[in-house]
Amino acid sequence: MRERFRALDPRLLWVLLALIALGTLTLFSAGRQTPQATIWLRQSVWNLLGLTFMLLLATTDPRRIFRYSFASYLIGLAALAAVLVVGKKIGGSTRWFVIAGQTFQPSELMKWVTLLYVSQRLGSRNAEQVSRLELSGAVGLVVFPMLLIQRQPDLGMALSYLPILLIIPLMKGLRARWVVALLLLVGLGGFGAWKFVLKPYQKQRVMIFLDPSSDLQGKGYQVNQSRIAIGSGGLIGKGFTSGSQTQLNFLPVKTTDFAFSVWAEERGFLGVLLALGLFGLLLSRILDAARAAHTNAEAYFCAGAAGIFSLHLLVNVGMVAGALPNKGMVLPFFSAGGSSTLSFFLALGIIMGVLHRSRVK
Amino acid sequence: MDPRHRPILRRRLGVFRGLAWCLVALLVLIYAWLQLVRHSEFKQLAMQQAVKVRPIPAPRGLVLDRNGHRLVDNRRALHLVVQREDLPTKPEVITSLASALELDPAALARKIQSYRFAGKGRPLVLKENLDEAGIAIAERIRARYPFLSVEVAPRRVYLGDELAGHVLGYVGEVDEELMKVKPGIFRLGETIGKEGFEASGNDKLKGVDGQKRILVDQLGTEVANFGQNDAVTGRSLFLTLDAGLQKVAQDAMGEESGAVVVLDLRDGGVLAMYSSPSYDPNLFLNRLSQDMVDRYLANSVTRPMVNRATQGIYAPGSTFKLLVALAALERGIISPQTPIYCAGKKNFYGRDFRCDKPTGHGSLSMIQAIAQSCDVYFYELASRMDIDDIYATAEKYGLTERTGIDLPQEKRTRIPSRAWKRKAAPKDPKWYGGETISVGIGQGAVGVTPLGLARFYALLATKGKLLTPHLFYGFRDDQKNSLEAAPVPPMKDTPLDPRHWAILDEGLREVVQNGTAAANPFIREIAKGTPFSGKTGTAQVATFVDKAHYARQAKKLKDHALFAGYAPQEHPQIAFAVVVENAGFGSTAAAPIAAKVVKYWFADRLSNPLPPPRGKMVDPFAPQQSAPQEAPE
Repeated sequence: MRERFRALDPRLLWVLLALIALGTLTLFSAGRQTPQATIWLRQSVWNLLGLTFMLLLATTDPRRIFRYSFASYLIGLAALAAVLVVGKKIGGSTRWFVIAGQTFQPSELMKWVTLLYVSQRLGSRNAEQVSRLELSGAVGLVVFPMLLIQRQPDLGMALSYLPILLIIPLMKGLRARWVVALLLLVGLGGFGAWKFVLKPYQKQRVMIFLDPSSDLQGKGYQVNQSRIAIGSGGLIGKGFTSGSQTQLNFLPVKTTDFAFSVWAEERGFLGVLLALGLFGLLLSRILDAARAAHTNAEAYFCAGAAGIFSLHLLVNVGMVAGALPNKGMVLPFFSAGGSSTLSFFLALGIIMGVLHRSRVK
Repeated sequence: MDPRHRPILRRRLGVFRGLAWCLVALLVLIYAWLQLVRHSEFKQLAMQQAVKVRPIPAPRGLVLDRNGHRLVDNRRALHLVVQREDLPTKPEVITSLASALELDPAALARKIQSYRFAGKGRPLVLKENLDEAGIAIAERIRARYPFLSVEVAPRRVYLGDELAGHVLGYVGEVDEELMKVKPGIFRLGETIGKEGFEASGNDKLKGVDGQKRILVDQLGTEVANFGQNDAVTGRSLFLTLDAGLQKVAQDAMGEESGAVVVLDLRDGGVLAMYSSPSYDPNLFLNRLSQDMVDRYLANSVTRPMVNRATQGIYAPGSTFKLLVALAALERGIISPQTPIYCAGKKNFYGRDFRCDKPTGHGSLSMIQAIAQSCDVYFYELASRMDIDDIYATAEKYGLTERTGIDLPQEKRTRIPSRAWKRKAAPKDPKWYGGETISVGIGQGAVGVTPLGLARFYALLATKGKLLTPHLFYGFRDDQKNSLEAAPVPPMKDTPLDPRHWAILDEGLREVVQNGTAAANPFIREIAKGTPFSGKTGTAQVATFVDKAHYARQAKKLKDHALFAGYAPQEHPQIAFAVVVENAGFGSTAAAPIAAKVVKYWFADRLSNPLPPPRGKMVDPFAPQQSAPQEAPE
């Protein structure tokens, strides 16, 4: 057993435990004035379960895990297809399986499975030998589950698959003309979409993002309240369980999407610095793992994982501050939720395994 | 791993790491902007939506009758409201809210607009007096429109229902129209008396609203109280009304239209004032249904909103003969004993004026003429006087002025004169002698309110004291539950010659003992127990009510019955006037009602008082009702 614990990378572990502590405190405060006062306990159970899985994966040779990646990918695709048929419809979209009273969201785990399989495929070649066709195939491997997810529909989740494609510039580098071409494509696409594709209600959403105070009773309400919570927190915050926005329920969905606003209101800018610093250290350590990895596949996986964590951080923390559109994307270790929590821990388990193997050898 | 690839990969991963820290730095900048630069702005926004200043509506004072029976009580009511600072601005929000509440969107938008510019004060009430079903609906609507809130406020309950609708009146909200008509007096949304004593006694009854600073959550529910100035409840007060007597008057009137007024001769207090048909003030607390508007407000047939006692102008008929007699005596036109012969009719100015009794009364003295209500006798008196002589006497004894009762919009009694005719009929300003003859028997242009008539008979009962009828008896000392009597409004002494008075008093006694009223066995019966004095009257219809209507009705143009007088005959204590519309003779329709009043006041009240008025309304939020108050003394 001792051996197993030694497999855990201490630097990554401390950062992780600190983030879990912050998240648990946040949920304790966020849940107090809601019907889910014990949500922090539920989330702690998920965290413990996740830590256990992480420990198991950390002591497993990553090469054994990669061996199952293709089969996992196929099973994942099947699950994404199945959820469209037998999934539970909540709030207009079909994203969840219900197993023994627990909801389970297959797209969360599939994100990491896809990353695993794409890393394994591209990692089996030398960077110089990879053909355009193989790269296109890898893009297809990512896009296909994204299309299935968009059928649910769940645009935010689909977009969170995109960081997997960071593996490609990691292998081939990034040329300036590619960047320019990409920017042009996004610009033209956005203009064309605004002109011809987007429906009025979608345009309205974009307008509300650009000016949240323009629709205080409707869709802009959530973000506006979140900004008030964050801004009124000031430098040192209003104190634990003393945030008026949180405790008086002005802040919406504060146990999931807007959990970080709770932290920002009650702990202030110093608390935000602490949390963001920890996330920075987490990303940094994951990229350390990529550098230390023994195989290309392991390196690609770690880099992709850093990309996915970064995207969650950017979109969630940016969104609650009103700097990005209101698209539901959870913040690891802060937002309550079973599927996402387990998935993050599983990924970190593999990364721990990579670090462990690099040290052992 | 390919060793050639390794350094390149390391370099690229270094770029990744740089990008990751850039991302963190970017987020830190965003939060620094919100939390450090714009902190005070957001702090104020957070305060604004969590800390609210709310008015605490003050309950109005209770209204009790002279014996301490509650006539107007307060209950707890729940209203669906929008606080001033939460008024919606977006047209589409107002429109959808209006449809959720089943209101007219344009009217709601107007209302919101006027409340927005009215400054601090009472919230805008969207639905008042929610019952249990209403609360459920309100909660559902509130989930969609979180700026709505439910307010606890006191509401009025009128316990006798229709018992004293015209006297008590009702309360209502100060609306935009009233603000426009009387700017600067009220605050928008404030509760004030709209009719009856609630209106005239508004300043006595109203309390002082309080204020509280509270912490609210997102649903507007109060979470904490940072301190408040309590509302000061309005003072409770006693009316001079006697609920039992009022009930007798109500029952005696039954389905008939008309009015009963009973005055206390000691101070002019109104013991009973019932105008029939009455209305139930409780119904005016909620927004009126169309059905209710048709029944009350828009009812041009029976006009139940008119207080006939103070606003109904009736030809006094024979009850006016006392004033004509007094005018004649004071001018020395006739001595009381001088007989005048009645042949059933008499010709004046080339026109026959008829007496009630076609065969004629024969030769009559003044007392006999009053007792028999002989018209010819009074035609004769009138023919010997000028209309301005009659007017001068009426003026001397206060019949030409308003009585000054503490009720709103009292009408002035109409006694014609040459000056009046010039003003009233500019096309035909000349006064004709024949008109004076009609006035001699209380017809023609003469019109009195039942209250004015009762006051004149009170003057006769008190040998010349001109009372000021009033309803306000005094405030209640809430600790001791006793009466702090208010000063009695001024009484004026008039130079009524005791010899003249004795003739009139004798005449009125004879009416009941041997005259027109004595024909009715019911009157004789009661007069045996409590001798009383009075004068019957039967007035041809010239009412304030639309004549065209009566042309279509079965009762069309039947005469109004009147009876006015005082009781007991010796040392009188009360004076009264009764008018029953289109009911026929004064002796058969009006006098029995007066007799019932006399019977209750002097006999039944003492041995077997009526129970206090009780409302039929059941209020689910009412606190435990305390037992009816006992008499203050």
